[in-house]
Amino acid sequence: MPTYIKWRDGRATLVEDVFTNIADGAGMTPGEVIVSLGRFQTEGEALLAEGRKVGVRLTSAEEAEALAYDLPRIAVVALELPKFGDGRAYTNARLLRERFGFTGEIRAVGDVLREQAVFMVRCGFDAFEPADGSTSEQWDAAAHRFRHVYQRSADGRTPAFAERQG
Amino acid sequence: MYRYDVLDKEFLADRSAEFREQVGRRLSGELTEDQFKPLRLRNGLYLQLHAYMLRIAIPYGSLNPTQLRKLAWIGRSYDKGYGHFTTRTNLQFHWIKLADAPDILDHLASVDMHALQTSGNCIRNVSADPYAGATAEEIDDPRVWAEAIRQWSSVHPEFSYLPRKFKIAVTAAPKDRTAAKTHDIGLHLKRARDGALGFEVMTGGGLGRLPHIAPTIREFLPVQRLFSYLEAILRTYNRHGRRDNIHKARIKILVAALGREEFARQVEAEWEKIGPGPDLPDTELARIRAAFAPTAFETLPSRSEVFDAAKAANPALARFARNNLKPHKVSGYSIVEISLKAIGETPGDATSDQMEVVADLAERFGQNDIRVTHEQNLVLPHVKLDDVPAVWEALAAVGLATPNMNLVSDIIACPGLDYCALANARAISVAQNIALKFTDQDRAEKIGELKVKISGCINACGHHHVGHIGILGVDKKGEEFYQLTLGGSGAEDAAVGSALGPALPYDKVADAVDTLVEVYLRERAEGERFLDTFRRTGVAPFKEAVYADVH
Amino acid sequence: MKVLTANRLIDGEVVFWKDAEWVERFADAQLFSGDDAEAAEAAEAHGKNQPTVVVEPYLIDLIESEGLWAPVSYRERIRALGPTNLNHGKQAEGGAGIEALQHAHGAARSKGRVDLIKRK
Repeated sequence: MPTYIKWRDGRATLVEDVFTNIADGAGMTPGEVIVSLGRFQTEGEALLAEGRKVGVRLTSAEEAEALAYDLPRIAVVALELPKFGDGRAYTNARLLRERFGFTGEIRAVGDVLREQAVFMVRCGFDAFEPADGSTSEQWDAAAHRFRHVYQRSADGRTPAFAERQG
Repeated sequence: MYRYDVLDKEFLADRSAEFREQVGRRLSGELTEDQFKPLRLRNGLYLQLHAYMLRIAIPYGSLNPTQLRKLAWIGRSYDKGYGHFTTRTNLQFHWIKLADAPDILDHLASVDMHALQTSGNCIRNVSADPYAGATAEEIDDPRVWAEAIRQWSSVHPEFSYLPRKFKIAVTAAPKDRTAAKTHDIGLHLKRARDGALGFEVMTGGGLGRLPHIAPTIREFLPVQRLFSYLEAILRTYNRHGRRDNIHKARIKILVAALGREEFARQVEAEWEKIGPGPDLPDTELARIRAAFAPTAFETLPSRSEVFDAAKAANPALARFARNNLKPHKVSGYSIVEISLKAIGETPGDATSDQMEVVADLAERFGQNDIRVTHEQNLVLPHVKLDDVPAVWEALAAVGLATPNMNLVSDIIACPGLDYCALANARAISVAQNIALKFTDQDRAEKIGELKVKISGCINACGHHHVGHIGILGVDKKGEEFYQLTLGGSGAEDAAVGSALGPALPYDKVADAVDTLVEVYLRERAEGERFLDTFRRTGVAPFKEAVYADVH
Repeated sequence: MKVLTANRLIDGEVVFWKDAEWVERFADAQLFSGDDAEAAEAAEAHGKNQPTVVVEPYLIDLIESEGLWAPVSYRERIRALGPTNLNHGKQAEGGAGIEALQHAHGAARSKGRVDLIKRK
């Protein structure tokens, strides 16, 4: 079974991936699946009715708001980074966590590099499919790079200004 | 000045360690150049024509003597004994080795400095009025807000992969010394009738290929709500800014495409959803504000007998005083501008020796405070009038007393084709040629305020669009040509200049500027600056004279 | 005529290809004649295969000026010499090769382009 990196209790660990990523136009497979937003909108009801877990893939051009009402039924939101420099997924991740209270998995897919670990974890991503072959140890080290942060974000870390107040 | 506490220091140390590791991975071949380039750019390291260039952030242009001495030492130890101050109030070293860069960042961190976010599509070094804390014009100290923005923008989780770079300026005086309207966000501190502090928020300014002057999207933002509002602007931009075309990716294009009202509406809608969560607590603002508390000024008479006598005895000092001293808010003090535009030298360059002299003067006479301006000069913001003769003498001894602030030879120029991998044409030597046309200081003073700004390519680091005379270098089949624009301004009366005519070859540019000045002297009405005359007459007389001369 | 150039990874120094080595002086660079495009491309491919030695090697065009080959573009002349505002970089070493390059003609000047400027 394929594996990916999962962020749990502030640690990155390698876990088995029970989800199958279903490309648009590809045949449906049994079990837990991740489908595109378009496909979820047409097939989502039926898939959920079968009692399986369903994840939805958002491109960087698609906005988290499109899923607002479906989030309680969705197990995974996979946010695509077509290239590492496309930062729209960070906004989507924060909104999913902070505005829509999504508690399921937010997975980074696409051009996912270790250098982004700290940003992704802070924005609420908790699952990663690194494109650079990073191990969970490397991911963990990268995500823990900074002892202090300056902003409030989806990870709930105490920002410097609050640390200073003791 | 703001002093880094242990948190700030540990944050920098972590960043420095990260970069050292990344450089190691590049040198070992684990990272390809394509993968490494964005990482080194995040740390201000470019690969240019002759070597690597390290761009060091000088947040809101503020330095203490220890920091400036460290920069001088780095220049001597790792470069060729000089550095280049930029229009973003950064310092660039142009002869850096990749293998040395991690050590340099450690040395910088030892004096609370860094090269963080001096490149890349992130929030860049924040700029503020170089006269902050010294001018009577300001209604609040913009450094308080600039420092808060510096911290908030450092390794921002959501806004570090924006469509394009993002620049913020803060000013608190009617006279704009930050070019706020050419920034992605310009924040102008204002006071409401009830005394409350707020910002006028201007968004969508920028130079480059498609210059825009920032429109105001909010007349009054209560200062306590700054960070939630910034988050709303940045989020709107991050989501909707163009990512398909690098030349249309700045926020100015989004604001222009949506229109000011619609952009403002989207920001306000997002701001409402965000709420006050991201705003900084008053306690933190108070902590930062305390760091900028006014230094103890002495009670002095408004005139200094020592200074007046020295001026009377020495016309060169008198000329320096006329051009390089600016009024201080406290009686008996002055703001001293240090020109990095010695005639015939490289605009913005300072040698390590010069930096050390300025550091010493700041320590002895200037309350340990040094500023860098976006016009590539330095400022000692708090000098007693009594001490001006001594300061002037020390500056003159190292070639730093050029009395040309805001005059025609106070030219902004980017490094251009002499150093920069992006440039199409040289900028420095064009500036040198022009300055050499105006060595007669009486004539220069007679000409008065005239801002010449030169960029070696369309990226406009030399701010040519907003020069009273703007000069843009272009490449025509391997040869340097220059397009002239007139009537731009980066100040509170901001405007983009309009083209004079066809591009001129390299060796005709300085003559053309001389001709433009002659036309101005001929045409000007009483009290008019070059810019005022141009705005009244239009381009016709200038164009006629230049293209009659050049053949 | 062409020359293969790049910047060295570790220090950014401008380097030129000479018989499968990278050298620092333009005067020492290996010249590839127009008839021998294959050799130039082979050298370029070889250079691109050294990502831990140099960054982005590329071929530049030369032009003859009084018996000397010089880069056509002004940018490449500056790379081969150093900046024009200070005597830094390769030109600091001086010597006949540097001097010849500094005075080389033929970089596009006086080809009638000043005619672009219309007289009133």
